[in-house]
Parts: sequence; structure tokens; C-alpha cells
Amino acid sequence: MSKPSLIRYAILLALIALWFLVTAMEWVKPIQLPPPAGLWAAWQADGSRFLDAFALTAAEIAVAILIAWPLGIGIGAVFGSLRAVSEAASAILGSLFAVPAIILYPLFIAWVGMGPESKVLFGVIAGFFPIALNTLSGVRQVDQSYVTMGRAMGASRLQVFYRVVLRLALPSVISGLRIGTALIMISVVVSEMLASFGGLGYMIAYHRTMFDTGHVYLGILMALLTVLTVNWLLSMLESHFSKWQERGAEL
Amino acid sequence: MSSEVIRVENLSKMYSTREGDFHALDKLSFAIEEGGFVSIVGPSGCGKSTLLQLLTGLLEPTSGQVLIDGIEVRKPLPEKTGVMFQDATLLPWLTAEENVAFPLSLCGKDKKESQLRARDLLKLVGLGDFINHRPAELSGGMRQRVAIARGLVRDPRILLMDEPFAALDEQTRFKMGEELLWIWQETRKTILFITHGLTEAIYLSDTVLVMGTKPGRIIEVIPVDLPRPRTFEMIGSEFFGKARNRIWTLIQEETEA
Amino acid sequence: MRLSVLLGAQAGFFVLLAIVWESISRLELVDPRLLPSFLTVLGVLGDLLTQRDFLMDLGITGLEVGVAFIIAAPLGVSIGFLLGEKLFLGQILSPMFHFMLSVPQSIFLPIFMLLLGIGFLEKVVFGVTHAIFVIIVTTTAAVRSVPRDYVTVARTFGATPRQIYLRVYLPAMLPVVMTGLRLGMIFNIIGVLLAEMDASRAGIGRRLFSWGEGFQLDLLLAGILLVSALTIIINEVMRYCEHRAARGHVA
Ligand SMILES: Nc1ncnc2c1ncn2[C@@H]1O[C@H](COP(=O)(O)OP(=O)(O)O)[C@@H](O)[C@H]1O
Ligand SMILES: [Mg+2]
Repeated sequence: MSKPSLIRYAILLALIALWFLVTAMEWVKPIQLPPPAGLWAAWQADGSRFLDAFALTAAEIAVAILIAWPLGIGIGAVFGSLRAVSEAASAILGSLFAVPAIILYPLFIAWVGMGPESKVLFGVIAGFFPIALNTLSGVRQVDQSYVTMGRAMGASRLQVFYRVVLRLALPSVISGLRIGTALIMISVVVSEMLASFGGLGYMIAYHRTMFDTGHVYLGILMALLTVLTVNWLLSMLESHFSKWQERGAEL
Repeated sequence: MSSEVIRVENLSKMYSTREGDFHALDKLSFAIEEGGFVSIVGPSGCGKSTLLQLLTGLLEPTSGQVLIDGIEVRKPLPEKTGVMFQDATLLPWLTAEENVAFPLSLCGKDKKESQLRARDLLKLVGLGDFINHRPAELSGGMRQRVAIARGLVRDPRILLMDEPFAALDEQTRFKMGEELLWIWQETRKTILFITHGLTEAIYLSDTVLVMGTKPGRIIEVIPVDLPRPRTFEMIGSEFFGKARNRIWTLIQEETEA
Repeated sequence: MRLSVLLGAQAGFFVLLAIVWESISRLELVDPRLLPSFLTVLGVLGDLLTQRDFLMDLGITGLEVGVAFIIAAPLGVSIGFLLGEKLFLGQILSPMFHFMLSVPQSIFLPIFMLLLGIGFLEKVVFGVTHAIFVIIVTTTAAVRSVPRDYVTVARTFGATPRQIYLRVYLPAMLPVVMTGLRLGMIFNIIGVLLAEMDASRAGIGRRLFSWGEGFQLDLLLAGILLVSALTIIINEVMRYCEHRAARGHVA
């Protein structure tokens, strides 16, 4: 292991040790920061309720992903390959991305209620833009000479698109999926925190008002671990599909 | 014994641009006989690539026509013409063999058969030991060899090449020329070769077409009456020098005009 | 020229959106209680902008966003610069900041509420944590992207270190740093609005949320329209500066 990464692990361990120390010495109030044992206690008390909540949240996330991924990739791919409009489309998507999606959440609640539908809708909106933008720019950046060559080899336009352009844009698409999916997951949890009847975010928000700090931190930890795991899986996929790129760059 | 495989008649191409119509090619006419090796040289921007795209069927002429085997070209005919550009445009995630077989996979050819064909062609271009390498693991010259093999994979009678070796260093470029002549002799293809290297054009070809610019047109046809096989010494010969000077002067006049 | 075409396309898109919205309500395709017409909403927005207490709320949010940015920008740029320059420190810490950037900060909101209570400070700190990581990471990237040749050339002309920083590093880094600042600003706004929505007594986020809960969709849409317009304008202005800096860079 390299020296910098050793030091990083040391810093991480030091932070955890600090957590033990600070809570043991009661330098902060337990209702602000629970001792590590507080999380364990929360899990023992309400573990199954946390798992149920997690299942609901995971289902909402899954549905949002199933909608946002194809939607983002589809729209990004279409506008990326229409050369005449791709630059304008990218500018429009870019400025829409600057609008904080969170302001739409009250609207979604009014439209579809406080149930899972509004979480899914919000997750889709939050995840859509980075996916569409990355796909669009990935497709747009594909060297036109590949298209020319594909056509000259007798590929139909659709074949050129599927087998050459989209495949060349794949690393960029996956990196959009990575960013977008992280946003989907967190947006679902956060929207549950704001207003809902269930899910991990609901558990966090409910227990915060009860000052069950151990529960709050446990819920956040679970959400965080989920995001990190999915993020890690997607970044593995990303590096798998961009291997040939890196090696190309070395030459 | 010889018959025309490529015939270009009164070929003109206009591009419509923001500043109005741009006359890229004006009434080009020429023919290439079966098994011929013809080069095209001309100042940059004179329309060489445009001409090649018209021959490939990637562009439509404004007027006039391109005939291949007596039939008008309206769309790419990969079974008749193989194409190669300055950039090898190999698909980076495929191995050399898969890249060569790619055009076959597009038309749904049997996989096993395609593989064997790709291997044979890679051997022909001297890359028998590199079939499983990816483009990033090959040198620039090797990538162009893979591109040649890919251009040949559907066994077209014609090979159209647009400055295929322009990005290579001088030595590799010369070696690739030799290689191409050898492949040409082995496979008896008809080759149209665009280049801006005058020495390369004369050394490789039976005929050099010199193009003028604004609008693009053919200003002179220079037959290369040098015996085959060509040798390095011929480059120093009097005929070679004269031909090169003639082309040089023509292109100079064009760019100054 | 190019820029004005793009701006035109963006403006065109929003006009189109407004027309579609207005037609949907005019043709009564949806319940007007769920989607009041565009012109109605515009009228409501006009009224809102004359109301003192609404303007106060807008001002508070603006202040929170502004203070957070004034803290995050110089802090983020300095840290990023230091990490880019001091190579070993950068090797240790840069991956940690990268990692933090990949975790959407919103999930930590309950922790901030527990640690800092609910109020101005919490909103500002939350805004800062949203903004700072992207600023750090892009600044580090900017420093590392300054071609070594520039520095070497400047040295051979006898430039002092101070001159090298001001005349070589700064202009070469500027466009990338500005991108980081722009993204930081967007994230900052998201953070502040989210914190206001979740729990607060003032601010535009609180307003939006209670209008949503109260089914006052005309007011809610007016608020959404206003916040969208403001964020898009902030984004475009910062993007324009970025553009200018990049042009100066090439020249
Ligand atoms: N799609 C196009 N639209 C407008 N003008 C073009 C287009 N493609 C090429 N041209 C113009 O046509 C001329 C010939 O181009 P090209 O055939 O690429 O020349 P060459 O290959 O000889 O350098 C150039 O002046 C070029 O700018
Ligand atoms: Mg050309």
C-alpha cells in the first residue's frame, strides 16, 4: 500500500477514535452526537423497523432508476447525435440543471401526494439531468470520422449509432449514471425526510424530532453505505469500460 | 485485358454554407482501369476528400455521376469499395481481429468464417502475431495495417484511400508504401490513393492526377512510365525528378493563383 | 455570435415552455387548481414582489447564500491551491475531497441540525459544506493543469515567484477555478433551500414548502418561477465570466 493511502487510513482511524473520545468524555451532548454504542443500541431496539424502512426506500430508488436511466440516456443520445441542435440542447439542459430540483418537491407533493410517488418523481428529476447531460456530451464528442467510416463500411445509421457511437460514448454515459444515481438515492431519502409516512428518510426525520440521536445517525449511516456501495459498483463498471481509453492515452 | 472499374463523369459538388454556395468540385471526369494504381495530389482544400466521399457514396454529387462497374453510385457499396482514411478509426474496445471482422458482422456473416478471414488478412498485412492486440497496444503504422485489412475484408475490387499514411513518420510511411504495393500485387485490387506526398504519389502509381483549386478540378494527368517493381533507386532517376518538378510547379501555380 | 445564438435558443426554449404551460391550462387539459395558468402565476408573482414580508424572506435566503459563498469561495480556492501545489499533502488529502464530492451532502442535514440547532448559522454552514468540495477539487485540478512550460519560461525571463503566481498561475487557472465557483454556487443554493424547507421560520425555502402543504399552487408556482429564474440568471452570468476568462486565456 502506498504511503499517502496509509496516512489516509490513519486519518480515518483517528477520526473514529476522536468520536469515541469526544463522546466518552461528554465534550458534546449525547443528543448532538451519540457514542458509537448509541448506534448499536438503536439497531438492537429497532433493527427490523430500519430494515422495513430500507426496503421501502430501496423500492422507490429502484423505480426512479428504472425511469431516469432510460429517459436520461435516451434524450441525451438523441440530442447528442442531432448535430444541428446538440449544442443548444446542452446549453438548455445545463441551465435547467442549475435550477435546484428541490424547489419542485412541494409541487410534487401537491400533485401526487406524500406517498412513494412523489419520492420517485423527485428522484427521477434529480437524476435525469446529469445522466442526460453526460450522455449528450459523450455522444457529441465522438469523432465524426468514426461515423464516416461506419457508413463507408455499409453500416446503417442505426447500426453506426448502436455499435459505434453509443459504445464510444459509454464511459461518459456511465459516469453520468454514477453521478445521477447517487443523486437519485439521496434525493429519495431527503424527500422522505421532508414529508412522508415511511422509508429511511422518515425514520431519520422522525427520530430527530424525538432526539433519538442514535437512530438518526444509524439511518444516515445506512443511507450513506447504500450510496457508497452503488457508487463503487458503478465506478468499477466505468473503469472496466474505459480501460481501452486509458491505455490509448498512455501512448 | 483491361476494363474500366471507376468512371467519373462531369462530377460537380457544391456545398451550401452560411456565406452562400461553395463550389468544391467542377466537372471532373476521369476513369480508372481494373488493377490500376492511381494517385491524386493537389493543394490542400482543393476537394480531394470531397471527391473520395463522392466515390464512396457518402456524399451526393450536385451534378454528374460516379459509375462503379458501370452502375451509378448512390450509397456506400462496401462489397465493391473498401475505404481507408488518415485516421485508422479502429474501434478501441475490439481486438485487431475483431476490428477487421467488424464490417462482416454488420451484414450478419457467420462468426467463425469471419474470424478465419480476418486472420488471413492480418497475416497478409504482416500482423499475424497481433490478432488479439487492441488498437492502443499497436503502433501508428500497425493500426493503419489493420485498417487496410479491414478495408479488404469484404473482398472489394477497389480500395479508396484518403491520405492513409499522412500521420506516420517518414520511415514508417515509406515502409507502408512498399507494403501497399505488395498487397496490391498479391490481391490485384484497383487503388485510388490520395496523398500530398509527391514522391509517394509517383513512386506508387501508374498515373498521377493533379488537381487545381477553387473550384477543384483536374489540371493534369501524369503517366508514370517506370517499370515494376519499383525500386528505391528510381527515386533518383531523371524521369522521377522531372515528374516531381512538374507536379510541384503545377501545385505552386495553383496555390499562388 | 455563437454565444448569442445559444442564448437565443435558451430563451426560445423557455418561451416555448411558457406557451405550452399556458395552452395546457387554457384548454383545461388538467385541473386548474393543480396547474394554474402561466399568466395567472405571473400575476401572482407580480403581487408577491411588492409584499414586504415576502421580500424579507427572499432577502434572508439571499443573505444565507451570500454569506455561505463568501466563506466557501476563498476557503475552497485556498485549500485547493495548497493541495495542488504542496504535492505530498495533495496526494493524501485530494482523494478524500474527491470522495466527499461523490457523496451528496444533503444527507448530512439532520446532523447539522443536531449539532448547530436550527437557524441562520446552520443554513450557512450547510451551504458552505455543499459548495466547498467542488471548489477545492476543481482548484486543485486547475493548479495541476498549468503547463510546467509556462512556469519554466517565466523563470528564464527572471520572473520572481510572486510574479509567477500573479501573472502565470492565476490567469492560466482562472477559467477552471471559475467553473468550480459556479458549481459551488449552485450546490450552495441547493443546500440553503433544502435546509430552509426542512426546518426554519424564514426564508424562501420555508415559503415554498408551506405553500405546497397549503395547496396554494398559484403562490407555489410563482415562487418556483422566481427561484428558477434567479438561479438560471446567476448560473448564466457566472458562465459568461467563465467564458470571458477562458477567452483571455487563449489570447
Ligand atoms: N461539409 C462541408 N461544407 C462546406 N464546405 C466544405 C465541406 N466539406 C469541405 N468543404 C470545403 O470544400 C473544400 C474542399 O475540402 P476537402 O475535400 O476536404 O479538401 P482536401 O481534402 O483536398 O483538403 C474546402 O475548402 C473545404 O473547406
Ligand atoms: Mg482531405
